[in-house]
Amino acid sequence: MSSLIDRRPPAHKTSLSLRMFLALMAGKSAARATRLAGRGGGTSITGMVARRVDPRVLERLVRDHGVPVVAITGSNGKTTTARFTAALLRGEGITVSHNSAGANLVQGVTSLAVSYADMRGRLPDGVLVAEVDEGALPRVAPELAPRALLVTDLFRDQLDRFGEIYAVAEAIESVAAGLPAESALVVNADDPMVATLAPERTGKRVTFGLAIDRSTDRITRAADTIRCPKCRSDLEYRYVYLSHMGDYSCSKCGFARPPLDVAVTSLEVVGLDRTRMEIQTPVGKLTAEVPQSGVHIAYNAAGAVAILVGLGVSLEHAAASLAAVGPAFGRLEKIDADGRGLILAFAKNPTSYNTTLRALATEGEPRQLLIAGSNTLVDGEDFGWLWDVDFETMAPKVERAIVSGTRADELANRLKYAGVPSERLTIVEDRKAALDAALAALPADRRLVVLTGYTPLIELRNEMMRRGWTGRYWAV
Amino acid sequence: MSATKAGATKARGVKARGAKAAGDHRPIRIAHLYPSLLNVAGDGGNLIAIARRSEWRGIPVEVVAVEKGQTPDYGKFDVVLFHGGQDVEMAVVAEDFHKHGPALQAAVDGGTIVFAVCAGLQLLGHRYISNAGEVMEGVGILDLETRGGPQRFMQHAACEVTIDGVTETVVGFENHSGLTDLGPGCEAFGRVLAGAGNNGLNGLEGARAGSVFATYLHGPCLPKNPWLTDQLIRLAVAHVEGVALAEVALAPLDDELERHAHDVALAKAMANRGRRTALEPAKLVRGQK
Repeated sequence: MSSLIDRRPPAHKTSLSLRMFLALMAGKSAARATRLAGRGGGTSITGMVARRVDPRVLERLVRDHGVPVVAITGSNGKTTTARFTAALLRGEGITVSHNSAGANLVQGVTSLAVSYADMRGRLPDGVLVAEVDEGALPRVAPELAPRALLVTDLFRDQLDRFGEIYAVAEAIESVAAGLPAESALVVNADDPMVATLAPERTGKRVTFGLAIDRSTDRITRAADTIRCPKCRSDLEYRYVYLSHMGDYSCSKCGFARPPLDVAVTSLEVVGLDRTRMEIQTPVGKLTAEVPQSGVHIAYNAAGAVAILVGLGVSLEHAAASLAAVGPAFGRLEKIDADGRGLILAFAKNPTSYNTTLRALATEGEPRQLLIAGSNTLVDGEDFGWLWDVDFETMAPKVERAIVSGTRADELANRLKYAGVPSERLTIVEDRKAALDAALAALPADRRLVVLTGYTPLIELRNEMMRRGWTGRYWAV
Repeated sequence: MSATKAGATKARGVKARGAKAAGDHRPIRIAHLYPSLLNVAGDGGNLIAIARRSEWRGIPVEVVAVEKGQTPDYGKFDVVLFHGGQDVEMAVVAEDFHKHGPALQAAVDGGTIVFAVCAGLQLLGHRYISNAGEVMEGVGILDLETRGGPQRFMQHAACEVTIDGVTETVVGFENHSGLTDLGPGCEAFGRVLAGAGNNGLNGLEGARAGSVFATYLHGPCLPKNPWLTDQLIRLAVAHVEGVALAEVALAPLDDELERHAHDVALAKAMANRGRRTALEPAKLVRGQK
């Protein structure tokens, strides 16, 4: 039986070019050098160096060899969805190559292929699971020719990079619309703009979402798209599940959430550690308890299940596979810092911040806080969105906050105006010094909560690894 | 600490207003226009800045959200905030504001302070003509017109602003593609030090006519420009109390964090001078790094 995950032999004979060989060698050496230097996993530099030598290295490795690819894109939840997808595929006996460290720009995705390829340019049998930055997607997708493309959601994220959320939607739209008919387009039906992607496309389409009879959120100032994508009237929500995601309809034009192929029919979030859910699929119902916390985890798990449905892969071991997937690095990750409790939490836009703050609040946190944000290519220039985060609900809990990163100024000012008295705020821009300062002042009966954007997360996690508190982030 | 109505004591210190119980003064009434539509750029921080800096001085504040379909009695308000939004939301607002917005003119004539950002600036003008030639009618409270431009200005920016005879640096983050030209009926809000300003050509930033202030600066603008925020609060207190601006002085606050945020943004803006965008976003969207 032919399935979407069969390797398709190339139409023409491919041979290893000298150029690609050199690209592989250069990329792999760069990764090794970075790791030896203790400067991280080389998850971006590998691809950057390899592309310098051979700009076509990614498509040569992947598309030219007909390697089946699953691409996962969207604003939030890419890394966790990719982890669930990889676990589900592996659970069904399929080999998976996967960029688990979340390096998802052009270089990061190239790194994935280069590091898994052997020196003859062959990737392992099985499936390549790539999370792809929504901005990089239009460039990366043609080089990958994905068999399944999942779009998690669309939230405002890095408007200084994209201009508007609608520009991101258009970029994804162009790729989704051009996906071959036999490839599966997997969309989050609860997100109005994602649900309506590529409406003219007649190829395979799998929808996922939540079907529970209560709201788990309300529309807040962080909500982005609550206008009808067809007629721009205000959408009406029967249930709001997470920010603007929910069961919606438009009374003006009749637009409504499409039927769900994969639906979370029951959901229970247990503290900071676990989420219990039932997932209805076309091939039966799954009951899973996942060792991660939050409504967004249900979306990520359902999305991953929908990918397998789209690929035509069985879900025989799915419940056990999902139950074994712990948090990705820095996603409410609990770390033992030489006997001190530390929670490492990644947040990068209003919705991910609010989701993370809500989860932390279930355990009365954050009280002792290290919070960091930096201007970088991946984290953006404009931090104005911090003013859309509900820091006001967090402020009364905060006993002390060390504020770090190159945009500590904006963060500290925001926390002050949210109600954290300025005498409780200390700016320590350097990440390592901030970590030391936060731990030195940590009362014996407190945990340290580290809330951070992507670049400081990598820096802090590397530092924690050097101190022997955690494993390698690229191996989690 | 509190705001001061110095006229009662001749001293421009904090005594006059501080001596009275807060209940003696009606609050500053703020209208926040279309908060659920114009909500993407963190501009809500402007409201937070005005509210906190007033409250820290014992000046009460009352905020009313004005949403689509409502015709507020603008004359009741001391301050009207009209922020930026994305194109789709702006189109929805434009249609509504064209109906309900003209009433704002009478309030402005009565001294109500307006602080507008980006889409707010554009819709207070005569019209916005998009690249596709579609016309969004504004209300003409500001004598300006905006056309869609070929590229987006996205960068840290800074300008010099003069209010009540004092000139200060104001910083923020530009994110717009509209090109605005001012008519003779209004002056610029500021003179560009770094960034594109209204159109990237004439060194003018934003627009001002009397008590109406409009800028392209997001950031959000007010939290990292405490001087500007305090000038708006002074104007608002003067409007509440019915006194001249010169009679209002505010108690000083500890602005160390605000000044730091201001200085970091200013340094970024000045370092970026001469470039059109911070990150060449159009290229990034296409993934061509």
